[in-house]
Amino acid sequence: MLQYILKRILEMIPILFIVSILIFFFTHLIPGDPARLVAGKDATLEEVTIIRAELGLDKPIWDQYITYMSNLFQGDLGTSLKTGLPVSEMFADRFMPSIYLTFMSMGWALVLGLLIGTLSAVFKNKWPDYLGMVTAVSGISMPGFWLGLILIQIFSVQLGWFPTGGAESWKSYILPSITLGAGIMSMLARFTRSSLLETLRADFIRTGRAKGLKESVVIPKHALRNSLIPVVTIAGLQFGFLLGGSVVVETVFSFPGMGRLLIDSIAFRDYPVIQAELLLFSIEFILVNLIVDIMYSMLNPKIRYVS
Amino acid sequence: MLMAGCSSEESGGTSEKENSGKSASGKDQELVIAVNENFISMDPHNTGDTNSNSVQTAMLEGLLGSDEEGQIIPQLAEEYSVSDDALEYTFKLRQGVTFHDGEPFNAEAVKTSFERIMKDESLRLNSRGFNLITSIDVMDEFQIKVTLKEPYAGMLTRFVSAKILSPKLINDSSSDIGKTPVGTGPFKFVEWVQGDHLTVERFDDYWNKADRVKKITYKPVPENGSRVAMLKTGEAHVIYPAPVQNLKELESNSDVEIHKIPSTIARYVSINTMKEPYDDVRIRQAINYAVNKEAFISVVNSGYGLPLDSIIPNKTQFYAKQETYDHNIEKAKELMKEAGFEDGFNAEIWGNTNSDTLKGMQFIQQQLKEIGITVEIKSMEEGTLSDEIYGAQTPEEAKVQMWYVSWSAYPSDTTNATKPLFSSSSFPPDGANTAYYKNDDVDKWITEVNQTADPDKQAEIYNNIQSTIYKDAPWIFLGVDEILAGSRSNVEGVFISPTGGINVTDANLK
Repeated sequence: MLQYILKRILEMIPILFIVSILIFFFTHLIPGDPARLVAGKDATLEEVTIIRAELGLDKPIWDQYITYMSNLFQGDLGTSLKTGLPVSEMFADRFMPSIYLTFMSMGWALVLGLLIGTLSAVFKNKWPDYLGMVTAVSGISMPGFWLGLILIQIFSVQLGWFPTGGAESWKSYILPSITLGAGIMSMLARFTRSSLLETLRADFIRTGRAKGLKESVVIPKHALRNSLIPVVTIAGLQFGFLLGGSVVVETVFSFPGMGRLLIDSIAFRDYPVIQAELLLFSIEFILVNLIVDIMYSMLNPKIRYVS
Repeated sequence: MLMAGCSSEESGGTSEKENSGKSASGKDQELVIAVNENFISMDPHNTGDTNSNSVQTAMLEGLLGSDEEGQIIPQLAEEYSVSDDALEYTFKLRQGVTFHDGEPFNAEAVKTSFERIMKDESLRLNSRGFNLITSIDVMDEFQIKVTLKEPYAGMLTRFVSAKILSPKLINDSSSDIGKTPVGTGPFKFVEWVQGDHLTVERFDDYWNKADRVKKITYKPVPENGSRVAMLKTGEAHVIYPAPVQNLKELESNSDVEIHKIPSTIARYVSINTMKEPYDDVRIRQAINYAVNKEAFISVVNSGYGLPLDSIIPNKTQFYAKQETYDHNIEKAKELMKEAGFEDGFNAEIWGNTNSDTLKGMQFIQQQLKEIGITVEIKSMEEGTLSDEIYGAQTPEEAKVQMWYVSWSAYPSDTTNATKPLFSSSSFPPDGANTAYYKNDDVDKWITEVNQTADPDKQAEIYNNIQSTIYKDAPWIFLGVDEILAGSRSNVEGVFISPTGGINVTDANLK
């Protein structure tokens, strides 16, 4: 297993190399001139030209690429064109809040999603099933933007329990994580239900039951465990998206996270920030995938990895 | 009085309700201001956005400052004079002022800051005006003279934005200027957590002693609904801007006050005067007659705003009201007929993807339909749009017909409100004259007005400039925004300037 993990991590290097090339060139393909955006509407051509030179944007794209890569190898993510601050410094304040928010959303979405899904499957076509699936459909159907604003209205404005935004205390994370996790919770509940129902129809479950195993053993030990593989896949994918895709929630809750920074940077054509952030998301995505693969073998020891 | 100035009639709330549970006296309290965008940099010499500028103003001061109307007043200079030829600026400095790091404020400190702006290539945008300086003479410890090589009418405004930084900061740790500025202002820097908040604290050795809040926290909150919620819960004491769609709801809340401030933001559509059929002044005038400005303000700006009745907003220095193009479809049709376009023509309007811009363009589309002009709307993301507009190297290459846009200049800088927009030297990519407007008289006047320091003469020239351009109609003159802000009723001493800057020098909580 350890060998397998090491191999996978080593494999990341060429992947990241290719990804960084793609990110660099695609970022530069976006129409829009950062120098003009920095300079402002009333800037003269001379001023724009000076700024372009200062930002190094007047150099051939290959030169810019070589500089970018050599800086990257030295661990330097570059300097923001917009703020003039090192990109790493801009990430420093935002990375951890984003990570906490993602874990919190994922955490409660997993627990509740699995619970609702399992109950729905076990009590198929009975009221817990209906209730669970109504909750799940509502969670999927409510747009994050809307849900966030409703939660603010009820829990911040009316009840005064939580702040409307920011990331100053644990309380600031509650409403955004509910908003962010709602859709995933619902998706996981539905996947768990259908996967569990399928497993419950399988021969080995029938055999188990015939041998006199209690339901309290059959469901969690045999059925649920075997149903979790597709659920883990979905959860892993969602987790990857969450890390970079919480833009809407971050905007509603004025949350100082990575998603909002990316949107701001794209609007401003802040190449170094866009590139560094996309690279970071790629690394996160690859790592999450690795963890998902490892979890497969833990859930079903029949899945073995050969190095 | 709260948020005085232009909004004074809106003020005067007397609610005693305490905010966010704080019960200490105003002296020990913290004021929270929520704004709509992130701050970009705290380097005052390299700042283009209003929000960063607002925060800087709490910490840093210039030789000159600006009042609630946006007009220039002495700040770190007690007095100033300008020579008749508009080349020499002499300042008598305030004594007994210290920087937040304990350094004394004097003529040498001013020189250090000015020289940074002049010499540092990366500050090129802010050095407009400063690159014309030939010498900075320290006359004595508290007197300084700046000499220019040629007159520049916007120079006084440049002195407002050229905030004076601690010489120790500039000399010893210049790389920190953008993150932790040190100035002489009423508040000193505490911390800046990117994307979350920026906090400043009262500077107890400030030269202008007064009772003010202990701390101010600025928070970027882009979502309108969230800003409104913060104001309602008392998490924020001031929100800027206040969203139009929530005004009724906020106005009915007795703990909240709404302030309407006439701005210097002009809304217009520039018309490419070098393209057929817009090269005919009658067509441009017809378009202006066809657009109902009152309806524009009520439909697009939800009723907040004033008609743009000159080429510059009325808060701008040297503004002169013009005879407006009243809504007159018959007259518009007549002009179209005279120009040979009785049956109208097809046109294209460009704008960004902002929902208000879209609404504005649809309004224009509907209004011009009345005189037979079929307008196609092309909305483009800001960066792409900027490429389309400024990518044209010559007027012939320009594809733009009409551009729905806005312009905001300092109220004290009429040059910036005219030259980049109407001088033929400002055709893209060299400026924002996207109407490709060229009038030899106007070109001559724009140069002339810069060469005198005599306000009467300047006013006369600006009069000519305004009436000539307004008649030539290179724009559809639409409106001037009223900017909206909200505050808790226990806030006092905070005001919003016509440019949208938030001044907190005398901020206090009742």
